[in-house]
This record gives sequence, structure tokens and C-alpha cells, in this order.
Amino acid sequence: MMRKNIGTWIMALIVAAMIIVPFGLPSEQWVNLVSLILIWALFAIGFDLAFGVTGMLSFGHAALFGTGGYALTILTISYQIGFIPAILAAAMVGALLALGMGLFALRVSGLFFALLTLALAQMIYILASNKLRALTGGLDGIPGVPRPDLFGIDFYDNRTYYAFVVVVFLIGLALMALLRASPFGRALRAVQANDTRASQLGYNVHALRQSAFAVSGAYAGVAGALLASLMFYISPQMLHWTTSGDVLIMTVLGGKGTLFGPILGVAVFELLKEELSQITQYWYGILGLIFILATIFLRNGIAGLFEGRDDGQGGAQ
Amino acid sequence: MSTIIIGLSLSFLLFLLSAGLTLIFGMLGVINFAHGALYMLGAYVSFQVVQTTGSFWMGLLIAPLIVAAFGALIEMAALKRVYSRDHIFQLLLTFGLILVIDDATKLIWGLDYKQVPTPALLTAPIKLFGSHIPAYRLFVIAFGAAVSLALFLILDRSKWGMIIRAASSDPDMARTLGIDVNRVRTGVFALGSLLAALGGAITAPLVPIELGMGFSVIIDCFVVVIIGGLGNIRGAIFASLLLGMTRAIGYTYATEWVELMTFVLLIGTLMFRPAGLFSTKGRAA
Repeated sequence: MMRKNIGTWIMALIVAAMIIVPFGLPSEQWVNLVSLILIWALFAIGFDLAFGVTGMLSFGHAALFGTGGYALTILTISYQIGFIPAILAAAMVGALLALGMGLFALRVSGLFFALLTLALAQMIYILASNKLRALTGGLDGIPGVPRPDLFGIDFYDNRTYYAFVVVVFLIGLALMALLRASPFGRALRAVQANDTRASQLGYNVHALRQSAFAVSGAYAGVAGALLASLMFYISPQMLHWTTSGDVLIMTVLGGKGTLFGPILGVAVFELLKEELSQITQYWYGILGLIFILATIFLRNGIAGLFEGRDDGQGGAQ
Repeated sequence: MSTIIIGLSLSFLLFLLSAGLTLIFGMLGVINFAHGALYMLGAYVSFQVVQTTGSFWMGLLIAPLIVAAFGALIEMAALKRVYSRDHIFQLLLTFGLILVIDDATKLIWGLDYKQVPTPALLTAPIKLFGSHIPAYRLFVIAFGAAVSLALFLILDRSKWGMIIRAASSDPDMARTLGIDVNRVRTGVFALGSLLAALGGAITAPLVPIELGMGFSVIIDCFVVVIIGGLGNIRGAIFASLLLGMTRAIGYTYATEWVELMTFVLLIGTLMFRPAGLFSTKGRAA
């Protein structure tokens, strides 16, 4: 327990250092990289609420992420809605879509949930790239996604946008920490540990799963909106199944079921991607190999190195 | 008429692949995400063999064997280590395999489309019930039916099948009886890979061979096993026919909507029979 606490603090310090350092560095390269890391980290901690905490392996989170991005883009560009209301709407759209997907996908459990979420997300990908072309711009995507417009600050400067991302990230992280420590968070862990027992204790397992998935969807929606704004651009690539795969790899690499693990997982993933893609165009395959090795040998991910959890707990069922 | 033939050939292809998926799940408890990647690999390897030997038949024979050996290697090197853990780990591992296989394929064969010519024997159309049917499609149907039958005989009627079933239902007892369970598991994964590659090799003359082919097919296979019930061969046959025919009819009458029809089938099934069309008990994996 002692070691676990120390490990968690060390991870928190690493994350804090990662956030602070770009403010002091003259080069914009780190600002952009850490912006990207924090946005994906927001996505990953939301994903982990469904996967690591509640035990639902979703392979369809790309749909929630991408739809959040499209919601912000379409609302700000076509309907001239302010950035903050639009980002709240992106959270709402992510949560609603998650509820909708859950309506079908939660009819099955375990591995079938993974297959179904994958299939549903693929359907949304196909819809966005073909059928809804008028709304989404099809495969070409939509350029010119705006940055926030607040207090007369110029967020088109990457440094100020970075500060905005940091604020949203910290709010998201704090809410998630509260949520996970709350009775609701504990009930979710009970569902993961033994859903039969949880339901015998009087918990509404289905409703708990639905709500965890919806909250997860809201996080994905906000993260997607922030990413579209960072890039000034959105395309169906954000809805592609590899996006679902990426967030899964990040979370497992970092340590599912822990608060800081997925954040470190994102950082390692993005750094590896940055370095490997300069050396070889086959970086994704190498990353896959690292992922396989981590699955076999590092079952609690990077967080397991800090917290010393190698007893296999935290697995579903 | 040609719609029916195309539908049937699609159905048999889907069945070959879903059968491999079902076989691996039934015996090892693993959902093999990389099944589509192995299918793609089968198509590429058969392209290579056809290039080298000049014979389609050699490709159809050798490619599945090579991929089966590769599958056995994967099972022994990686999958074996995670059987004792939660099912999610096995899924993660096979997902990682997709990335590795995809990039290795890109490294070896590059990004441009490959094409395997239809074997000379089967290029001429055949006149059947007043319409011209490509002979190769008929061959796919016959071949698929033959492989399905062989699979059924092996699993259900042979001593090997009995050993496989024994090793999956009670590994400890099977071990006590002197069965090398680890070897059986390797064999089953190899057989599943062989079926996937067979699907790839036989599809090769019908479609351009490209990197994305593995993923689109795995979605269809998942839809088949969700509709039919995983581990349920009867359900897989029916669901393959349903999906294959829907596709073929869609291509003829509403090309734009084909991709979405698959999902309509899936959602429709889940609304009315959440446990799959043929499942009698609840679904938990």
C-alpha cells in the first residue's frame, strides 16, 4: 500500500512536470507535442473509465471522439455558436452517442461488447465518409475549425491554446479523480470485479454500465473537439478504427484502471511515434510489437512499474 | 441468377472465415482479431507463389500451408503465454498482431494493388439457366462446400476431432489420458489460420489485393458470428448465407447502401434476438 501511494505521487509529479516544462521552453515544438498528449490523455482517461474501471472493452471509441470533433466544427462554422457552448455540446453529443451505442452494444457482454462497438463505430465511419457528405465534407473533411474566442485572448497562438488545453485537461482530470473515488466509481469497480455479485447487492448493473459509457463518451467528445481545434481540421480519419486502437494501446501501455497510467501511456505512445516515425515509415508495426510485448510481460503497464501491482488484479472478472 | 451465384460464393467465403474464427474461439476461448490479417496474408502469399510458379493451383495449395505455419509460430511464441489470463488480454494481443502483420506486409509487398489472374481453366463463362455465370464463381462455391464438408468430417467424425473436443472441454482430463494439449492448441490455431488463408487465396482472383482487405472482412465475420452465435456452426452457416445474399442483392439493386445493410442486419438481430439467432442460452464470453 505504501509503495502504491508513493508510486501514484511519482506519476502525478511526472505528469505535472510534463505540463509545466513547455511553458518555460522557447521552442514551440514541445508546446504542440504536449498539447497533443494532453488532448489524447483526456480521451484516454475517459476511455479507461469504461475499460479499466468498469471492465467494458470498447472498440468503438473513435466514433465518440470523432463525433465530438464534428459537433464542435459544425456548430461553430455553420451555426456561429461560441466555442465554449460548442465544446459543451460536443461533450453532450459524445455522451448521447455513447448512450445510443450502449443501447445495442450493452445487450451483449464481455468480448461481444468489443465486437459490437467496433461494428457500430465502423457504421458511423462509413456514414460520415459517404452518406452524410453534405454535413461532414466526406473524406476531404472540413478545414478551418476555429480556436476559442474568450476575453479577447488570441488562441490562434499555439502557446495560449496550450494554456487553454491545460485548463480543460486539469478540470477533466480533477472531475475524473472525484468520480473514481465516489460511491459511483466504487460501484463501477464492483461491476468489473463481479457483475453477478454487484447485481445481487442491489446495484443496477445495466444502468451503471450505461452511465459509465456515457461519461466516457463525454470525455471522448471534448477531447475530439479540442483535437479538431488544435489541428484546424477534421476528417473521418478521427472516426477510423485505428483511433479506437490507438487509445486502447495507450491505456494498456500506461496501465488500465489507474488514474495516471493512461496519461503516461499517451505520453510514451506519442513520444515513440514522434521518434520512430522519423526513423522508419513502419513505426506502427514496431509499436504493435511493443504493444504485444507489453501485453505479455507488463500486464499492469507503466503504472505497474511505479505501483508494483503485478498480482494480476484489475483484470475484468 | 448471377445474383444468386455471386451471393452463394460470397456466403461460402464468409463461412470459411467465420468457421476459422469460431473454431479458434470454441477450442481456445480466443477471439482472433488478426483473423482478417491472416486472410490478407493468405492472399499476398498466394500472389507471391503464383508469381513464382506461374500456377494458381500451387498458390491455393502452398499459401495456406505457409500461413498455417506462421499461425502455429504465433501461437507458440505469444498466445500460449496469455491463455491463463482474462480473455481481454488475448484480444489485445491479437489486435497488436494486426499492426505488425499489416506493416510487415507493407514492407514486403509495398502499397500498390496486386492482382492474381483467374486460372485459365475457369475463365470461360458457363451458361446456366439462360444466363452466363463466371466459372470461377461456381468453383468458389464448390470449393467452399468441399472444405466445409471436410471440416465437418474432421471435427465431428474423426479421431482428431475427438481429441480437439476433449482438449477443449476438459484439458486436465485430456492431459491425464496422454494427450499433448499444448500441441492440440497449436494445431487448432494453425488450422484456423489455414482456413483464413484459404479464404484469402481463393478470393485473390476476384478482388484487388490490398492492405485494407483484412479489416473490412473481419467486420463482416464479426457480424456473422454475432448474428449466428459464436461457436455455433449451424448459426454461422445461416448467418453467412444471410449476409452473403444480402450483399449480392444489394450490389445488384442498391449499390450505395450495401455497406450499411450489413449493419442494419446486425442491429435488427440484436433488437429482436440479442443472444443471436440460434443461441438458446445467454451470451457471455
